[in-house]
Amino acid sequence: MSKIVDNPFFVLGLSPDVSRIELEREAQKLLGMLELGFAAARTYATPLGQRPRTPEAVRAAVAALRDPYQRLVAELWARHAPPVHDAEPTGDVEPAPVRPLRRALGWRP
Amino acid sequence: MADSPLYVGIDLGTTNSAAAVFDGERVAVVRNAQGGTVTPSVVRIDKQGRITVGTRARRFLEQDGLNTAAEFKRLMGTDKEIEFPTAGVSKKPQELSAEILKALRQDIVDQIGAPIARAVISVPALFELPQSSATSEAARLAGFERVELLQEPIASALAAGWRAEDDGAGTWLVFDFGGGTFDASLLETRDGLLRVVGHDGDNFLGGRDFDWRITEHLASQLSVVPMRKNPEHAAALRALRMAAEDAKIELSRSDRAQVTLAQPLLIDGQDVEVDLELTRATVEGLCAPLIDRALDVCVRLLTASGLGPGRLSRIVLVGGPTVMPLVRARVAARLEAPIAEGHDPMTLVAQGAALYAATAGLDGRAADKPNVIGRQVWLQYPAVSSDLTPHVVGKFVGENAPAKVKLVRQDGAWSSADAHVGDDGTWLTSVTLLPRRACTFDIQAFNDAGDKIPVSPPTLTIVQGLTIGDPPLSRTLGVALANGHVQVYLERGAPLPARRTFTHHAVETIAKGSKESVLRIPIVQGELDAAHLCRLVGTLDIGGDAVKDTVPTGSPVEVTIELDRGGRMSARALVPAIGQVFEQVAHLLVPDAAPEALDSAIRDLRRQLMDLRTDAFRHGLGQVIEKLDRLEARLSEAERDIDAAHGGDADAAQRARRALLDVDGTMAEADLARKWPELDATARQAAIGASSTVGLYGSEAERTLLQEVLSAMEKARKDKDAPELERQMRLAQRLSSAAFNRTPEAWEWYFEDAASEVSKARDLPRAHKLVDEGKRALSRGDTEELRRVVKALWQLLPEDSEARKRGFDSGVR
Repeated sequence: MSKIVDNPFFVLGLSPDVSRIELEREAQKLLGMLELGFAAARTYATPLGQRPRTPEAVRAAVAALRDPYQRLVAELWARHAPPVHDAEPTGDVEPAPVRPLRRALGWRP
Repeated sequence: MADSPLYVGIDLGTTNSAAAVFDGERVAVVRNAQGGTVTPSVVRIDKQGRITVGTRARRFLEQDGLNTAAEFKRLMGTDKEIEFPTAGVSKKPQELSAEILKALRQDIVDQIGAPIARAVISVPALFELPQSSATSEAARLAGFERVELLQEPIASALAAGWRAEDDGAGTWLVFDFGGGTFDASLLETRDGLLRVVGHDGDNFLGGRDFDWRITEHLASQLSVVPMRKNPEHAAALRALRMAAEDAKIELSRSDRAQVTLAQPLLIDGQDVEVDLELTRATVEGLCAPLIDRALDVCVRLLTASGLGPGRLSRIVLVGGPTVMPLVRARVAARLEAPIAEGHDPMTLVAQGAALYAATAGLDGRAADKPNVIGRQVWLQYPAVSSDLTPHVVGKFVGENAPAKVKLVRQDGAWSSADAHVGDDGTWLTSVTLLPRRACTFDIQAFNDAGDKIPVSPPTLTIVQGLTIGDPPLSRTLGVALANGHVQVYLERGAPLPARRTFTHHAVETIAKGSKESVLRIPIVQGELDAAHLCRLVGTLDIGGDAVKDTVPTGSPVEVTIELDRGGRMSARALVPAIGQVFEQVAHLLVPDAAPEALDSAIRDLRRQLMDLRTDAFRHGLGQVIEKLDRLEARLSEAERDIDAAHGGDADAAQRARRALLDVDGTMAEADLARKWPELDATARQAAIGASSTVGLYGSEAERTLLQEVLSAMEKARKDKDAPELERQMRLAQRLSSAAFNRTPEAWEWYFEDAASEVSKARDLPRAHKLVDEGKRALSRGDTEELRRVVKALWQLLPEDSEARKRGFDSGVR
């Protein structure tokens, strides 16, 4: 599940076929927008609804996509994910159960 | 003062320091008062208390060694003070580093004619947090308002890549032989962006080892041989070492050098004349094993990154020892790659630091009073961009913002489309840069009627060139727990800045008003799960004298650790029960290294090594024996340093301390490898147990996770990676426990187990009361209540005291 909601392409709001320079450009833009408090940058769309976007998440996403292997994995998950929708997650959608579980278990990726 | 920004980089080295400035297009190395580009990191204090630094101070190293200090960088972050007996003063290492920084700062001011307040200072890649913190403190003492720290190999690569005509595309190796450390960094440049692929190094190998080898060779030829462990021989050895260093430099250009001292050495009351001949072949014979040791590190790094020989685009050599022809020849031959030419190995780091200051937007000039004319606008843009069309994001301060904004490049050849300003004053546009140039843009704002409105600042400048992504964290950072393990907060390689929060629980009560009652949160750095094998870099103490109210055992403690871009750490602990925040990180010091303690530690390690070796021979474990042989060699080196520590060499003492810690960690790994068959069998059982429990009681998410864990376990078994297998096995066991905890029988079992140990509880009356409550819950089948009781009982049961000691007396679980 985290491979979907935390997928770097979703965090940056980009499609998996963007070039390296495009993702750097987008990350730089998002970090600037977050720093100046642009409302549009505060969340990002995933197949499970909107998620909060933080500067840390943007930095982690772009760092992951600079690594060819991690990018390949992220591309696979992004291509096979259900369609993205912008709505808040509904009550019957379990909100990212794996992620807190991973943390609780001391998971290290 | 120039209108455009000026970026300052400083290489604060162990042996030599250097500074460089970057004006957006050209990097210039700063010359000191003597006209040199490097300033020896040497400080002298005479009997009047006057301070001399650099070349002038270095001249006194031989004749007035007691009042002249060198190589104090290696003591940064320790509480060791360096004494200057004639003046009757002592100085901390950061105070001496501050003197070097002040001198460099003055050289910069003399060269550019403007005051300097901000800079980037380089630090070794594997510097620990206390050492980084001491470097920042030195900069503050030297009068810098703000500094950012940068890892030396990144600085070298940035400088080398910036000048590469082909954009430097490809994979690079930075071979950095510093005075006291060796760093190998693998970097990749693509699309104008520099990325650190991997890093390895040897914290105990540097140019000074070359000097010591030559010094010992020279000493062995004297009529009376001076010994490092004898404090009375220190002056003679110092003089001999300086002569050895000079001869080494001379032998980079010629085949023979004469080592002659003007004054005889006084050794054991005898005058000993020094007039010896040294040949290049002798020096090369003495130094070749050290170069090979550095090359072994490079090969290990390349193998770990999946690169074979001949796959590197080029090698960048950094540091004084790389000037030796033997180093260049051996490196090129073994790694089968060309050496990047045209770089000055002595100033490359400073140049890279200046370039990095630009990428971080850290203008070195002292800030003038803000002169706000017109509408103030906050801007976000990259000061250096590899992208030719980066974004610029802005926000007008206050209400009634202008309606639109346009950016016009000052060469007049390009202007942006109009960007519309939103209701909240925000706007977004992009600009077009000229390759490899600094471009300044006028910011033009207009109201609805199209009238031009002055804005502040009126311009912005972006330099196009090679950039580096967020700097990566060089060592994993976490909190030691009372069970002796580490809760990882930030993994090695995490992009900086970064912040992470975890909730822990107090393992004992903090009694309000009691000075003795202290809850300790140890912050550690290292790659191993066992806390005692990591380095303690700071503690966050919550004392009874500081809490507003008593904090009972089991209370949640939310700990946040934050690192800035330069790797400087801040931490805070929130105790929700009393609504108080504690953020005073204490004891950010490298631990003391008393020679007697080192003697005792090395004796223990030798004993363990012998046991491991006997066992490895008995079971015919070739790989383990090889590993132990390497450890044996490291211990012998540490022994030499401990000898020197007995002779009063504090730097050698620190080196030995770190070497022993490293050996301890490697020995733990070797021990795991020795127990491989046993570990492998346990792992198989754990996998079967976890599959069955999670299969029966686990959630969908747990089953997915278990699959990932089992695959990782399989890979670790295939690679015979014992630490990784152990880590994955723990994850499988935790998953298994999480699933098992959902069954009613689990809590019955836990309750019986906890109740059987109630006599050890910290608060006996409460523990007995809980046991009674548990029995009642059990009889009426109330699992929820039973779970509550068991959890409360667990909080009262003590952690294993040995484990807690290994966890640096951590007060949290």
